[in-house]
Amino acid sequence: MPRTFQPGDTFTHVRECDRYRPIYYAGASGDYNPIHIDPEVGKEAGLGGAILQGLCTLGWAVEAVAVFVGDPGRIRRVRVRFSKPVRAEDVITFQGKVRSVQDGLLTAEISATNQRGEDVLKGAVVEAFIG
Amino acid sequence: MALDKRFIGREYGPFTYTIGAEKLREFALAVGGARPGAGTPGEPPAHVSPLLYDARAAKAGPYFDLIAFPSFAVVFAVRPFSAAIADPELAVNMLMLVHGEQELEFLDVMRPGDVMTTTGRIENIFDKARMSFLVVSSESRNQTGKTVVKGTWTAVIRGG
Repeated sequence: MPRTFQPGDTFTHVRECDRYRPIYYAGASGDYNPIHIDPEVGKEAGLGGAILQGLCTLGWAVEAVAVFVGDPGRIRRVRVRFSKPVRAEDVITFQGKVRSVQDGLLTAEISATNQRGEDVLKGAVVEAFIG
Repeated sequence: MALDKRFIGREYGPFTYTIGAEKLREFALAVGGARPGAGTPGEPPAHVSPLLYDARAAKAGPYFDLIAFPSFAVVFAVRPFSAAIADPELAVNMLMLVHGEQELEFLDVMRPGDVMTTTGRIENIFDKARMSFLVVSSESRNQTGKTVVKGTWTAVIRGG
């Protein structure tokens, strides 16, 4: 029987920014901005060290929904505001809640908080085809 | 120093990018949490879909080939945004720049061999709370002319 999705359904996805993740993501994405790979430059920029690429955090929010719906090819849209930097060894908890299911399109609101309970994303929304 | 609003409407591109299977795999596994080493993108964590890295499983699956992790699109769709940031006439202070907001719309999956052409433009420049905002849109089409990815990229430059 095909899986059904209902408004109000929730899901959780946890990801750790391991020490070299910003460097691995730099290699894969091409985003070598020094604030992501050089702690000294990150400090100079007032960020307290190297920070993870926001687009990697966005990728994790997408991943949370891809795992929930069971197929990364069904992701239709993502929208996020980056509200706080993610640093090495931060653990980010993505909590999703289905806001609507309409015409085969699932819309989920995602919160993303670090181990101190601070939001690293705001207003995050991911849509997926489930038809 | 505030960014000059007369650059609103400036266009960048077209930029062309050919999607390769190894690059797709590398990206999916880097986002997914694998630890790459010399000659390998690393062991796939259990939560990563085989459609993203296992060619045999993917060929038997719903898309008949490997597909890109959706946000892989940033690898090529970022070009107009990075061109705007690096535009000497716009003179953005890179050290004070952070990525503020991002929206991506996916209208089809991306497979190895797809040739993506991206264009973009500066949609808006405005100041708020002593910060400058630079908003760039992007549109990426595949080799058949179909629009596959649309993006809205917002940079925040602290200290205006």
